[in-house]
Amino acid sequence: MIDQITSPEHLLKAVLSRRGFLGSAYTGLAGLGLVHLLNSELFAAEPIWRPGQGMTHFEPRAKRVLQIFCPGAASHMDLWEHKPSLEKYDGHPLPGEEGALSFQGKNGPLMKSPWPFQPAGESGKLCSTLLPHMARHVDDIAFIHSMTSKTNTHGPGCVFMNTGEDSEGFPSAGAWMSYALGSANENLPAYVAIPDIRGEPPNGKATWSNGYLPAQHQAIVLSSQQSIRNLQLPAGVSEQEELATREFLQTLNRKHLQANPGNSELSARIAAYELAARMQLSAPEVSDLAAESASTHRFFGTGDANKLKAAYARNCLLARRLLERGVRYVSLYCASRASGVDGLLNWDAHKTLKPDYERHCPVFDQPTAALLTDLKQRGMLEDTLVLWTTEFGRMPTRQEGTTGRDHNPDGFTCWMMGAGVKPGVSYGATDEFGRRAEIDPTTVWDFYATVLHILGFDHQRLTYYHNGLDRRLTSVHGNLIEEILA
Amino acid sequence: MVYCQPVSSNRPGECKVYPSRLVANLILALWVSLIDAAVATAEQHEQFFHEQVEPILIGHCLECHGADRKGELDLRTQATAIEGGESGASITPGNPAESLLYEYVSTGEMPPKQPLSESQIAVLKQWIADGAYFPDEPLSPFAISTDRRAGFDWWSLQPLSEVDPPVSPGMPAAWAENSIDRLVFAKLAEKQLHPSPPADSRTLIRRATYDLIGLPPSPAEIAEFRKACEAETGSPDRVGNRAYEALIGRLLASPRYGEHWGRHWLDVVRFGESTGFERNVIIDNAWPFRDYVIRSWNEDKPFDQFVREHLAADSLAAGDPLTEVATTFLVCGPYDNVGNSDPIQAAQIRANTVDEIIRATGETFLGLTVGCARCHDHKFDPVSQQDYYSLYAIFGGVVHGSRSIASQGQRRDLESRQQPLNQTLERLAEEKQRLEQTLLDHAEQSAADIESAWKRPPVDRKLTVETFEPVEAQYVRLVSEGSETNPRSASGYHIDEFEIWTAGESSRNVALASAGAKAEGHNRVANDFAEAYSAALTIDGRFGARWLAAAPQLTITLSQPEAINRVSFSSDRSGAAVEHHVAGFLSEYRIEVSADGENWTQVANSHDRKPINASHRRRRLIDAVQTEQQRQQLAAFDAEIGKAKAELAILPQLPVWWVGNYQQAKEPFHVFLGGNPQRQGAAVVPASLATLSKAAGSFELADDTPEPQRRQALADWIVSRNNPLTARVIANRLWHYHFGTGIVDTPSDFGYMGGRPTHPELLDWLARQLHAHQWQLKPLHRLIMTSQAYRQASDFRAEASAVDAQARLLWRFPPRRLSADEIRDSLLQIAGCLNLEMGGPGFRLYHYWEDNVATYVPRDQVGPETYRRSVYHQNARAAPVDLMSEFDSPDCAFSAPRRASTTTPLQALTLMNHSFTLDMARVLASRIDQADRNASIRLAYELLFSRLCDDQELAMASQFIEQHGLRAFCRALINTNEFVYID
Repeated sequence: MIDQITSPEHLLKAVLSRRGFLGSAYTGLAGLGLVHLLNSELFAAEPIWRPGQGMTHFEPRAKRVLQIFCPGAASHMDLWEHKPSLEKYDGHPLPGEEGALSFQGKNGPLMKSPWPFQPAGESGKLCSTLLPHMARHVDDIAFIHSMTSKTNTHGPGCVFMNTGEDSEGFPSAGAWMSYALGSANENLPAYVAIPDIRGEPPNGKATWSNGYLPAQHQAIVLSSQQSIRNLQLPAGVSEQEELATREFLQTLNRKHLQANPGNSELSARIAAYELAARMQLSAPEVSDLAAESASTHRFFGTGDANKLKAAYARNCLLARRLLERGVRYVSLYCASRASGVDGLLNWDAHKTLKPDYERHCPVFDQPTAALLTDLKQRGMLEDTLVLWTTEFGRMPTRQEGTTGRDHNPDGFTCWMMGAGVKPGVSYGATDEFGRRAEIDPTTVWDFYATVLHILGFDHQRLTYYHNGLDRRLTSVHGNLIEEILA
Repeated sequence: MVYCQPVSSNRPGECKVYPSRLVANLILALWVSLIDAAVATAEQHEQFFHEQVEPILIGHCLECHGADRKGELDLRTQATAIEGGESGASITPGNPAESLLYEYVSTGEMPPKQPLSESQIAVLKQWIADGAYFPDEPLSPFAISTDRRAGFDWWSLQPLSEVDPPVSPGMPAAWAENSIDRLVFAKLAEKQLHPSPPADSRTLIRRATYDLIGLPPSPAEIAEFRKACEAETGSPDRVGNRAYEALIGRLLASPRYGEHWGRHWLDVVRFGESTGFERNVIIDNAWPFRDYVIRSWNEDKPFDQFVREHLAADSLAAGDPLTEVATTFLVCGPYDNVGNSDPIQAAQIRANTVDEIIRATGETFLGLTVGCARCHDHKFDPVSQQDYYSLYAIFGGVVHGSRSIASQGQRRDLESRQQPLNQTLERLAEEKQRLEQTLLDHAEQSAADIESAWKRPPVDRKLTVETFEPVEAQYVRLVSEGSETNPRSASGYHIDEFEIWTAGESSRNVALASAGAKAEGHNRVANDFAEAYSAALTIDGRFGARWLAAAPQLTITLSQPEAINRVSFSSDRSGAAVEHHVAGFLSEYRIEVSADGENWTQVANSHDRKPINASHRRRRLIDAVQTEQQRQQLAAFDAEIGKAKAELAILPQLPVWWVGNYQQAKEPFHVFLGGNPQRQGAAVVPASLATLSKAAGSFELADDTPEPQRRQALADWIVSRNNPLTARVIANRLWHYHFGTGIVDTPSDFGYMGGRPTHPELLDWLARQLHAHQWQLKPLHRLIMTSQAYRQASDFRAEASAVDAQARLLWRFPPRRLSADEIRDSLLQIAGCLNLEMGGPGFRLYHYWEDNVATYVPRDQVGPETYRRSVYHQNARAAPVDLMSEFDSPDCAFSAPRRASTTTPLQALTLMNHSFTLDMARVLASRIDQADRNASIRLAYELLFSRLCDDQELAMASQFIEQHGLRAFCRALINTNEFVYID
């Protein structure tokens, strides 16, 4: 008994001194939880999980994530989930919900999809003819046709789909990964967001925010249109001056460190300057698309006459290069924010679904399909999890007086493929018209519980204290979607 | 139900101490022997229950099997426990073997996540065997604190204790003088730690100056302080008490103090100057609150008054705008203002908005995470859902937005100046309308004649075609004379495609960009994606996206002169937009062509088409019959109306500030079951939190209480001297900013999930001092800063660090990194270009673009217009800007009670490469530039590090400057650790 009581103190000392070395979570150097550590080290036999050290709770299936996000609420029933009843009852009222009010107001009758669906792949999965390239991947995809959201508003919806909370200030899934695992390639950031050439998604930077997690877990914003901020040497500073300045600076810092031992933040800051210098060398290399072959460029469509498609294709190629070089989480956006015209810059087809999606789908289809093929050919899908997400779905009805669809948070499609995912599965479904998730309704929290599981984490144990709670990516919810796990 | 688990991974420096199993076993053994010794009395059963059983039931069972009745089981009373749940009776008094409860806990099946210890199981067995005593009142999870949650007996909810600071043996004489030191020393002594020697004068003036005003001391200030110290102690290095007190006095009196500590407060109250959420539109009239905060801290406004003003200044200080602005506190958080036609979603959004205010209030003033009781009773603190909705009834009338706040005199004055102009406007409008009506009446008499000239069909947004005699042209333009929705506005219409056809056989569209044509026309601006509405969309051969005209003209330039005879154009070629305004077209136009782009010939117009609607017909009729004189008269009316409006516009406006609007609720408020506004529970009235009733008393208001009185009552209750939390929380915030970590290291969370006080007596002593000084904060700063604990050196000591690495016990002064604001302000200060202008609208380090929603893009170049203190930066939400965000300036989405202090490569990139650093390095270089290079280097060291440089440093710097110049030297210095750390 006595021994048991004294040993924690002994351990406490050991841990405290290690804490002194690693710094506290709030210094962002290493989020090391004393209580957790102590409890676990005392009572658990397994090695202790620590954030930021590349450790997982259990054996992971995937090492990195590509999240493709189509903001504006991409229509499930016009892209992924075939609803023959819409064709049959086109122009009829939606039973039980005639003239119902949704986000922008009153809804008219049911409206069929302007495009036919046709069987794709060996599975014969019905897929919109608007997506001929993507249709070739259906055998590798696990569709979740029964997604639901808490909100019918784009900003909160996008934030919800990225952070598990529908108000801003919370960390996105990528920031959680950065926190949980740290960086795999210390010359590159762990988490990169690639915004579309058309601008930022709804709620902008809040969708890739570190929230309350320390600042190093924010996404680095990078795309084929914009390089990492402050990466370039300032104008008027020669490389020779730069080298000398760095050396001089580090000499001053080392001298200061000698005079101030025991402050781990000081040495961490010295290391950060060295890391920054290495990033300056690595980042331009990863962004250098010219290193790719002409056939790769053609395959992705980077030279397409449609400038939006070409720009997105370049971002797809950039995403692959980032993943290849050890970036843990890449958020790739296809389309952007709400504009002066609904559905112009993103998938928000309120008034004119047909022309809107006939602009958006060609931008999305070939480059995305090429990226998936490329990942597969390189064997990267073995340990890369691909997510396709949007913030919610659309109504099966036409918005009154228009040929578009209003917001629908009650049912929509997202999908996963790659590492840890069962290929060629369609999980869940909306009702016959696509109005509400009916079979196996699935929440954003379920979605991320599953994502974390594939990455080797128990979503209930990956927590961070903030303003009164140990917070999670899955809030206080989330169940694994076992059916789509390989 | 799965709920928030208390498993921490980032709680700094905290170690919860759980009652050891050994102790529990001993108690049980004692108890059992007692039972053995004699027949237990009812009193003993009761005692055993409260001491041993109740903590287990509350801590491990009631979360599910209390009010939530999971599995239909409710263990709060004996009757319901015996009745049991889905699986049957849970307890058979007197017979543990026949009790499911005992079976489940002894097999480890319950509680599901963490089984009970053997001793706990034994307690329950004994209790059931003894008859399973229950008190008459149902058990409340709030009754007592357990190792899983806090109850009403939680430390922070208890009255402030009387503290008699002890004199410990071995205490240095200087430490005995200040009560703070006595209390700090006592804790150190418990761990066999001893404090550090006093810091020297340079270290201390740098520390104190940053601490109070957020800027470094100037070389002159350092010299002056050292001189005063020398006069007092005989050594310029040894700090003299009088000199030091004078220094603190000077700093507290500096207007910079309010700016620095005001900034701290603005963090706490999540002050942000954009709405957040999808639109995130910038708020340009919230800055008066920032000035109010700075003013209040500078004036040392009593904190109780400050709190009252935050919550209820609209009624407490009506007509005094500089104080009334305080209620901005209620509405300076993010809120969703997109608008929602779905009533269920709209109700949810409204509930979210009020929730944000409740959270901010609870965390800011009480250090209570009240928001966790929104959907269910708080899982960790004794805050019920009822409590939460009592606050909802207090804040339910708050509406975000601006309001004109002015004195009666100001209002009367403005009205008297507006009145004549408004009368003029009214008269002019009437006269113009009369003339137009006369003209229209006249025209209607000959309408048939006029209309006979309108032979062609009206324009069609799906396709409008004009054919004309073949003409050789390289330039073609569409000139609008009126848009579909407004006949008098020639702009604001859309074109999805404009085609120009060659004359003759096999007619070709030569207006395509792919054929080398160019389109020009002003469009609605989208800075983040310039092509969003551009004229190029009219010649891209696709129909989905449209040019959005911001001027009447669209000009197409062909690649070469062509013989043409036809144009066609549309705003909705696919027909998908139907009648909708997303494809609003024009109604009146002319088509002009030119060979040289200068001399234009009209080849077609819409004038012989039928008008597309009644208002266009009306315009045509008036135009047809009016004489030149009448036309001029109408134009004159317009000119006069314009003039009067302009005069109105330049009148000095009353302050219209972002202070919120306040509406009386028409109906009583209800609990929202599960947080869902569609599931109304019991009605609630405005009331205080039962959480604090024991110490702070309570109030309850009728449900028809006027709205402002609700907030007043809450404010009065919060600042009541009996309320222990308010004084503890603000005293701890002060301590937190002085030492880098609070006595409680979670300054807005004094509940179970928060930290425990390292020095509970000290915290209470400080809180009582606050009362003793009538809630003024400057005396508290003085007490803290004159303590020996604060004046210690920060030198590292391995043996002390091994015991207390974070120096929470203050064996040294904990060194800290400068905050983002301090770094930026210091750079400006040492470069000599800090603009100390106080107050008024803020500056921006980002570009602000608004196109339905807002986009914020950090600026690459920032000029002298931004060289003000960072507290005057217009901090928008979700709008990171390099230097501020990289160094942990919070996003103001929530209250930020403590800033992180991270170390990242991005910081290095920003501070090395952003043009601002280079600008500052350049200005600093010219400031220190002098003939004697050594003097330059010495000055730089004094400016940046508040110290002299030694000979080795001098030689090294000199050599570096020789090769790379002063600017490079300054750039390096700016990036040093020494510059951004305070000892």
